[in-house]
Amino acid sequence: MPAPVPPTGPGRSVCSVGDVIEVLGLRKQYRRFRRARTLAVDGLDLAVPEGGVFGFLGPNGAGKTTTIRCLLGLVRPSAGGCRLLGADAPVGLSSVVGRVGSIVETPLLYPRFSGRRNLELLGAIAGVGPSRVREVLERVGLADRADDQVRTYSLGMRQRLGIGAALLKDPELLILDEPANGLDPAGIVEVRELLRSLGHEGRTVFVSSHILSEVQHTADRVAILSAGRAVAVGPVGEVLRAGRSEALLVRVDDLAAGLRALAEAGIAAATDDGLLRVELPATGAATVTKALADSGQYLFELRPDEADLETVFLELTRGTEEGAR
Amino acid sequence: MSRLLWVEFRRFGARRLVRVTALLALGGIAFGTFIAYTEQFRLASMPDVPLGTAFPLVVIGWLLGASFIGAEWHAGTVTTLLTWEPRRIRVLFAKAIAGVVSVFVITMLLQVVLAASLSLAASLNGSTAGAEGWLSETAAIALRVSALATLAGAIGFAFAAVGRNTAAALGAGFAYVVVIENLVRGLKPEWSAWLFGENAGVFLLGPSNDFPFVDRSQLGAGIYLSLLAATLLAVATLVFRTRDVN
Repeated sequence: MPAPVPPTGPGRSVCSVGDVIEVLGLRKQYRRFRRARTLAVDGLDLAVPEGGVFGFLGPNGAGKTTTIRCLLGLVRPSAGGCRLLGADAPVGLSSVVGRVGSIVETPLLYPRFSGRRNLELLGAIAGVGPSRVREVLERVGLADRADDQVRTYSLGMRQRLGIGAALLKDPELLILDEPANGLDPAGIVEVRELLRSLGHEGRTVFVSSHILSEVQHTADRVAILSAGRAVAVGPVGEVLRAGRSEALLVRVDDLAAGLRALAEAGIAAATDDGLLRVELPATGAATVTKALADSGQYLFELRPDEADLETVFLELTRGTEEGAR
Repeated sequence: MSRLLWVEFRRFGARRLVRVTALLALGGIAFGTFIAYTEQFRLASMPDVPLGTAFPLVVIGWLLGASFIGAEWHAGTVTTLLTWEPRRIRVLFAKAIAGVVSVFVITMLLQVVLAASLSLAASLNGSTAGAEGWLSETAAIALRVSALATLAGAIGFAFAAVGRNTAAALGAGFAYVVVIENLVRGLKPEWSAWLFGENAGVFLLGPSNDFPFVDRSQLGAGIYLSLLAATLLAVATLVFRTRDVN
């Protein structure tokens, strides 16, 4: 299992000037009548720098939505606190809410009002006019259905309308909780492209998800949450490499002969699921190729041993959940 | 605040329940006018009409007030709204003001339409004799009826805000009127001075032998009911301000 990336470094828990989201020691415990207390967030520290897409990952129940609700002032922390664009949540939120667009879980809008009317009513609170509503409806691909009642929308359309609502204020910080929920594959790709373009526009997009492929292709940085704690924080590449020695994977016809050839060349290697795993960084590829060719072994495949986010995520969260048990 | 208030007024006006209720009420007015026309309505009896409409208008006020916030909780749109305006007291006040003002305007308009229809019926096929001063007398009673419906709306709003559900508010209202008020009247009649029903009666009709335990003037009953509504709204505000929105 890879060791978690310590929550420091670029995408870290230590807040600094320029962080648009700061979470310090956030703890949230729900008390339910006649039921055991639930600890949803357990001392979370997080800092999200300005610009780009930040993926907030975790399995269901890890505390992602509760953290977002705390950020938006919907839920009061049991301990610790958070800041959005430098303002304390919830007391200072009103001073920055005009610069923040958000959706929390499935966007909740008036089912018997049309998509357009919903956005117009929300926009009116912030002084956003009908022309901006039209623009946003087009951007999220709902212009054709804008005048239909929201209750006739599919989940994916509601999701897109929610993203549209979040974009209405032309915000510099977007907080999106599972924006790809309920979307079909084409919709997921559309949302991914939308998030990427929003990140490139200089906005900060804080997106929670458990669809890891979506985040791996979109986010610049990620935080992985498990049992209410951050178990890894950092740039995507750094989290992917966390705790793994750099290695190359090589496919040859005769594994035993390949191993011998590499050993003779003084290169450490082992068999790994029908491949040779060579303990060298990617820059050592030429050395491996030469060593094998010199002994008459010709390779079919040579690639760096990279874990995908899903593997890292499962390993990290499994470890924490087992620890919690 | 003014933007939020404006949005809440628009939202109230766009609600289907409001439109359906208004249409049903207008249908009832049309039917009542037809009866009045065929029965040769006397304009002199017009001041009694608003008293007859008091109960349904109070129920309408309660329903519209409770459902205005209850439907928001049911649909979950309170969450969305709070991500646009995180100052919760503002949000609740804007909603409450829009709700109660709208209830007052709607119930007042319905009474105006009813009075106009009946006076037309009286002039076409009835009697206008002995009806001097009917307008001012009717207007005074209609204002009190609308004020009462508005207070019922405010109380319904407060109940639904705390219970986070229209049905909870309607159920609580029904249980109060049917069970609690009757229990108090039967078991502790001297406490009935504090009941909504008794004070509403005094507010509409003035002190009378029908309400022997209420030692208040018409204005006093109105002030008591207003304080009751204000207290419940204050409780609802406190709860709304402090509870998590999940």
